Amino acid sequence: MAAIVVEGLAKRYGSVRAVEDVSFTVEAGEVFALLGPNGAGKTTTLEVLEGFRARDEGRVEVLGLDPGDPAGSRELRRRMGVVLQELAVESFLTVREVLARNAGYFPSPRDVDEVIETVGLTEKANARVTRLSGGQMRRLDLGLGIVGNPELLFLDEPTTGFDPSARRDAWEVVRRLATGGTTVVLTTHYMDEAEALAQHVAVISAGRIVADGRPETLAGRDEAEAVVRFRLPDTVPAAELPVQPSRLIEGGLVELRTTDAVGVLHRLTGWALERGVPLAGLTCERLTLEDVYLRLTGYLAAEQEP
Amino acid sequence: MRREGWRRSLAMVGSQLYYEQLAFWRNPFKAGFTVGFSLVFLVLLAAVGGTGRIAVYHVRSVQFYVPNFAAYGVMSASFNLLAISLVGRRETGQLKRLRLTPLPSWVMLAAVSLSALVVAVVQVVLLVAVGWLAFGLRLPGDPLPLLLAVVVGALAFVPLGVAASALVPNEEAAGPMLSIAFFVLLFISGLWFPLQPHSVLAEISGWFPFRRLMLAMQAPFLTASGLQVSPWSWRNLGVVMIWGVASAAVAVRLFRFEPHRA
Repeated sequence: MAAIVVEGLAKRYGSVRAVEDVSFTVEAGEVFALLGPNGAGKTTTLEVLEGFRARDEGRVEVLGLDPGDPAGSRELRRRMGVVLQELAVESFLTVREVLARNAGYFPSPRDVDEVIETVGLTEKANARVTRLSGGQMRRLDLGLGIVGNPELLFLDEPTTGFDPSARRDAWEVVRRLATGGTTVVLTTHYMDEAEALAQHVAVISAGRIVADGRPETLAGRDEAEAVVRFRLPDTVPAAELPVQPSRLIEGGLVELRTTDAVGVLHRLTGWALERGVPLAGLTCERLTLEDVYLRLTGYLAAEQEP
Repeated sequence: MRREGWRRSLAMVGSQLYYEQLAFWRNPFKAGFTVGFSLVFLVLLAAVGGTGRIAVYHVRSVQFYVPNFAAYGVMSASFNLLAISLVGRRETGQLKRLRLTPLPSWVMLAAVSLSALVVAVVQVVLLVAVGWLAFGLRLPGDPLPLLLAVVVGALAFVPLGVAASALVPNEEAAGPMLSIAFFVLLFISGLWFPLQPHSVLAEISGWFPFRRLMLAMQAPFLTASGLQVSPWSWRNLGVVMIWGVASAAVAVRLFRFEPHRA
């Protein structure tokens, strides 16, 4: 069953087209990542789905409800959790008080102490929000997003500004929620985050979806050319290689591009073993998600890929 | 079913009010400055005035300053502090975040208004107590006219504060913009000194609810001093209420949940 269906969504601010003809589907229980540069329309899309912003065109269904309709939006707010980019918490209350207050807004909230433990703030439970570090504040933010026991959680750049260990902790929380059946929609511009968490990614650029799929197959990433590189000794002429090199670089460095990495490597290494030629520094690389992303968002032209 | 709904809404307002109050009194500068400001002025002005009589009214100065600063307390809680706090909450994204929870917006606004009323009542009680204990303030025989003025004032200045918050672009501007407007209006309304009736200042400030609330709160204390005036100040409260209703209409149109910079 689909948790979110978006078809032909458009949103304009005056004459600026923030989002144009955006369509995608998020299955229930899936972690979905919306990737894109700043200003691409990620937050606008999220705000439309959350029912915070009215759309201009298109069909949007979230948990079977229309977030653009007041009654649908009211019902949706009971069943979703939201973590915004801003750190927006009343500073003179304690961690436990803030969470307990917000838990009271929901029909069947999570246990407050369990939430505190989940986001790793047990030692700070009775500390005022003003005494929290930036990372702890973001964790409280995440706690506020999940305290209502949501079926669907929106995370707008959840780990921006986190140190590496705090990011891993946040990922762990998201993974645990997903295992528990919560559908998670997140925006990020960290490709490793999308790869680590999401089963489904879409790339948005200049208000349009430019790719949609599994992170490991996005934009034909798995079928694109792999690049094989190695160093050939001076004594062996390149012409003797069993496969035609795409490029010869100074110092004996050879580069091969192929869509058949297995076949090429087999022939190459078989030949090398037979002839006793060391293929120093042999590597075989595929496009990373980041390469695909940079290409899709127009930062890298296709021929500049590694 | 409907009754259950009401009960739940009231419980939500109560819970929200509890956290509003907790956050307010825990902020030492906010609480201290709010309550301290009116007390310090009352003590200074009443001490300077001593047992002498104040101009225009010819009553002991404490009979004039206690209701004036009580009115100030009501207005600062419901208008100035409320507007500054709303701008802060809007610009830091707290309002947007709240909008995305099931808490109805009216519950939040009701709790914020009631919280302002509580802070106002605390100030009025403190000012009257200090005036009575330290300066021999004569208390009104009937507390109802004063109570009515406090409640009407608090409820009318809340929408004015909400409307004002919508006109302030950002957090940094909120304190200076609102406080300057507030204190200029208080000054010309005769908070610190009595205005001659029909003087230019009295005529101008008479259009605004700030002077009207002060007059409405003075009335019971002037009656207590033996002046032949009614403690019920319907005309003044009427002007205050008109401002309240009009600003509520403006507030509903202008109120925004999201930060201006976004």
